[in-house]
Amino acid sequence: MDSARWERIQLLFHHAAELRAEDRRSYLDAECGKDAQMASDVLALIDADAAGSSLLDRGVEAAAHSVLGEGTIPAALRSAFGPYRITELLGEGGMGVVYLARRPDFGTLAAIKILRDAWLSPSRRERFASEQRTLAQLNHPSIARLYDADSLEDGTPWFVMEYVRGQPLTAYADAHESSIEERLRLLREVGEAVLHAHRHAVIHRDLKPSNILVTDEGAVKLLDFGIAKQLESLDEPSDHTRTGMRMMTPAYAAPEQLRGGRLGNYTDIYSLGVILYELLTGRLPFDVADRKPAEIDVMIAEHAPEKPSDAARSPSATAAIRERASTMSKGEWSDLDVLCLTAMHAESSRRYLTVEALIRDIDHYLLGEPLEAQPDSTRYRVGKFIRRNWRPVSAAAAIFLAVVALVIFYTVRVTDARNSALAQAARTQRIQSFMTKLFEGGDESVGPADSLRVVTLIDRGVQEARSLDGEPAVQAELLQTLGGLYEKLGNLPRADSLLGASLEKRRALLGDDHPDVGESLVALGMLRDAQAKLPEAESLVREGLGKIMHALPPDHPSVIGATEALGRVLQDRGDYEHAIPVLESVVRMREATDTLSPDLAQSINQLANTQFYAGHYSVSDSLTHRALDMHRTLFGDGHPLVADNLIDLGAIQYEFGRYEEAERFYRQALDINKRWYGNNHFETASNLTLLGRALVKEERFDEATDALTQALAIQERVYGPVHPQVASTLNEIGSVALARKKLDDAEAAYRRMLDIYRVAYGDKHYLIAVAMSNISTVYARRGNYAQAEQLMHEVVTRFTDALSPEHMSTGIARIKLGHTMVKQEKWRPGAIECRAGYDILLKQKAQQQIWLEMARQDLGTAYTALGDSADASRFNAELASMHEQSAKN
Amino acid sequence: MRKDAGKTVIPGDATAPGEQDRSALDALFSVAYEELRRLASSVSRGDPGATLSPTALVNEAWLKLSESPSFATTSRLHFKRIAARAMRQVLIEAARRRNADKRGGGAAVVTFDDAMHAGATDADELIALDAALDELARIHPRQALMVESRFFGGLDIPETAELLQVSEATVLRDWRAAKAWLAHELRRPR
Repeated sequence: MDSARWERIQLLFHHAAELRAEDRRSYLDAECGKDAQMASDVLALIDADAAGSSLLDRGVEAAAHSVLGEGTIPAALRSAFGPYRITELLGEGGMGVVYLARRPDFGTLAAIKILRDAWLSPSRRERFASEQRTLAQLNHPSIARLYDADSLEDGTPWFVMEYVRGQPLTAYADAHESSIEERLRLLREVGEAVLHAHRHAVIHRDLKPSNILVTDEGAVKLLDFGIAKQLESLDEPSDHTRTGMRMMTPAYAAPEQLRGGRLGNYTDIYSLGVILYELLTGRLPFDVADRKPAEIDVMIAEHAPEKPSDAARSPSATAAIRERASTMSKGEWSDLDVLCLTAMHAESSRRYLTVEALIRDIDHYLLGEPLEAQPDSTRYRVGKFIRRNWRPVSAAAAIFLAVVALVIFYTVRVTDARNSALAQAARTQRIQSFMTKLFEGGDESVGPADSLRVVTLIDRGVQEARSLDGEPAVQAELLQTLGGLYEKLGNLPRADSLLGASLEKRRALLGDDHPDVGESLVALGMLRDAQAKLPEAESLVREGLGKIMHALPPDHPSVIGATEALGRVLQDRGDYEHAIPVLESVVRMREATDTLSPDLAQSINQLANTQFYAGHYSVSDSLTHRALDMHRTLFGDGHPLVADNLIDLGAIQYEFGRYEEAERFYRQALDINKRWYGNNHFETASNLTLLGRALVKEERFDEATDALTQALAIQERVYGPVHPQVASTLNEIGSVALARKKLDDAEAAYRRMLDIYRVAYGDKHYLIAVAMSNISTVYARRGNYAQAEQLMHEVVTRFTDALSPEHMSTGIARIKLGHTMVKQEKWRPGAIECRAGYDILLKQKAQQQIWLEMARQDLGTAYTALGDSADASRFNAELASMHEQSAKN
Repeated sequence: MRKDAGKTVIPGDATAPGEQDRSALDALFSVAYEELRRLASSVSRGDPGATLSPTALVNEAWLKLSESPSFATTSRLHFKRIAARAMRQVLIEAARRRNADKRGGGAAVVTFDDAMHAGATDADELIALDAALDELARIHPRQALMVESRFFGGLDIPETAELLQVSEATVLRDWRAAKAWLAHELRRPR
């Protein structure tokens, strides 16, 4: 049959099937004419369709059953395997079948394991052979022994091992109503067997009660090394793929197994912990029914299991378990909790390091001695809380580390200053109990409740701190830390009140000249900086720095920190001339002790930014790359500091006029920021603004508007309507409107921007001039060159005063001014302004091609009109070669 | 007659992955095998509550394998299509071996399951289906792929439609015609 005929037959089939049975024959005869075969083929199809009883209708299950069928031993199987005779089927799994066999000459019993359907894949054969090799190495009374191995003629491999008649571990313990001590002894024996395997570099990977049999005599036997692994072969990637996907029993599997991570001794230790949990409580620590491995992994990572003591005594436990539980004292239970939860800790590094250590602690417990394992410390719990809440905490995560660092700081200080050790020790204790209370969400051993939000936590901290009236120094320190946290969270008024309170406490307590007072002043100054109250910020920081420098040596971290703060305020004020040497000195001071540290990276970054604002783009570029490398090494590729550096690099590319490059950096940063902060965070907003700016330059206006509008909405919400960030976004929105020739929209955006800058920075700041210059562009676009010219005169003056007469911005402003004049045919003054701007731009390292082109055009026109043919032809020629150049590119 | 192990690797076609995926495919075969075995045992238990179906099995196989690096770039649908092919090959291979054993079986064979003989026709039918599908692939490749995906891989109508880039109505129509033709082919004396 060919395709065409089949198409025809189908057509007739579908049509005929719709007809009444008696009409089909005549219909087909008419359609098929002489082709009687076709008619009968179609009728055959209709019969088959009506019968509906083929293999296809019965389903693949039936077919699978009959060709693979359960309970069927391979047909090639003979009754004799070497000296053994098969007597009974013991069980089967995905891999193979296990039979009970007798050895007639000795009258002994053994188990024979046969790989079923060995032909199917090499990986199955390899796994089977691997189990056999593993068993061959292990020789321990609690591990079923390997006796013999061979394969059938068709290649089906088999091996013979010790036959164990017994009950699964948990069933045995329940049937014998074993006490908790007896249960621990059983687990200890399992541990001995596992330890033996570990000493032969074998990890079992599938420890569970059904693989651990207990004979009637009470001897423990470990079975089924089917997925056991030699440690040195664990790194093979193909093996990783295969073992990661199946075979393990999720209920007892360690998190690293569930997520296909690196396995080790600790993997078995986890399973032993789960088995102990089940022995103690009669249930599994996590309800894993119907869950995928990845879901279980998340569950384990995010939830602490109920303590065995609670689980065993809970109303849902059986009466037998509750009764058994009630025989133990509170102290005994608390040790059992620690023992069990240490073994099955979600983090492999926090479990018992070896099975031996687990066994030792079981022995300690049985002898009534203290355990070696310790419950999780506060610091660990805080860390775990942060990890568990990583996304919501994100920016605030630093906070917790700061609080933790505070405790450590005090502890260290106590060690350092032994003369006042007693007073300090008391202080440390206060802080530690503060910490404990702070993180007491409920159960002390598992840390704060999951539902506890960061802000709640800090609010609670503030309350705690305020109640510490008897410890004003501690109180001041905590208030300052918490104020810093609020500042990071963007709650500036709250930060203000806490930092202010801290400063007052310190002044009252320590006197006005104390360096701690200086630090409070600097912190408050930086808050003013964030509030864009820049003159006040500068004077506060200078005052604080003065006190600190007066009291401490010049290389003291507080001095460096305060100096850096001054550099930042100077930069924010636009005083780059003074900011650069200050920040350079900070980098030098840090380099004296560090080659790679977050502080050094941060200082380099700060300097890079200032160099950038000063227009030194190449210097800034290399500094930024240095900071980026450090941040990547220190924090990994997904960290917001890496995003910050990428943004800086994007800004540099933007200034160089390489907008696609800039866009690329901005998008990389945006990926990081969105993942880190979410879609409604001010960092994301500012990143969106920058991206929008690059897109504008690429003339991708729709994308640009989209990005900018998103950004503005976030910023107005976060910062309030009058903030430099809002102004900066308005500037971009104005630019898009300008490019789209929506001149009224553009002017409105620029005017709002101007107003915001006036309020935020005062009248002298260069950004005022930027806003004015943009408004003047709108005038020029309307053809109102006189109005534009008037404004540009003011802009040039403002740039000259705020920056310098030679600054690039001044140059651009003069070209723009010249342009408005040329347009009004004021040839002479137009040429003078244009030429002055042109000369300034030529001296810049970064060539502003767009403005140079505008200048050349206007100069060519003006000189021609003035009859200065030499100059005219010079600029016309430059313009022509410039066009030629860009055509080539 | 025995096939060599290499035959169990999916033959290259436009939608099958390349050589570098061999180990992943080997893994897929093992999983397909174990899943089919579970499927088979659900039938033998006669458990009405058992909800095992090829769809469920392929879905589970996908869940197990989708996180492995080798399948990271494979779409779910594409995976199901490969899994269907794997299921087909495992079953056909098993059917061939069963028949070979039956015909050449020695006296020393012991069986614990009488169903083995009752199931012999299914083995024959599977082998016939395999051949008929190859023939269908020659005259109408899309229908052959559809039968393979639906019967062996348990793809439902919308998934099949998406895989084949046709409407659901076309799938239903094709399925009915192809099924009738294959049923007719299977009934032919061999």
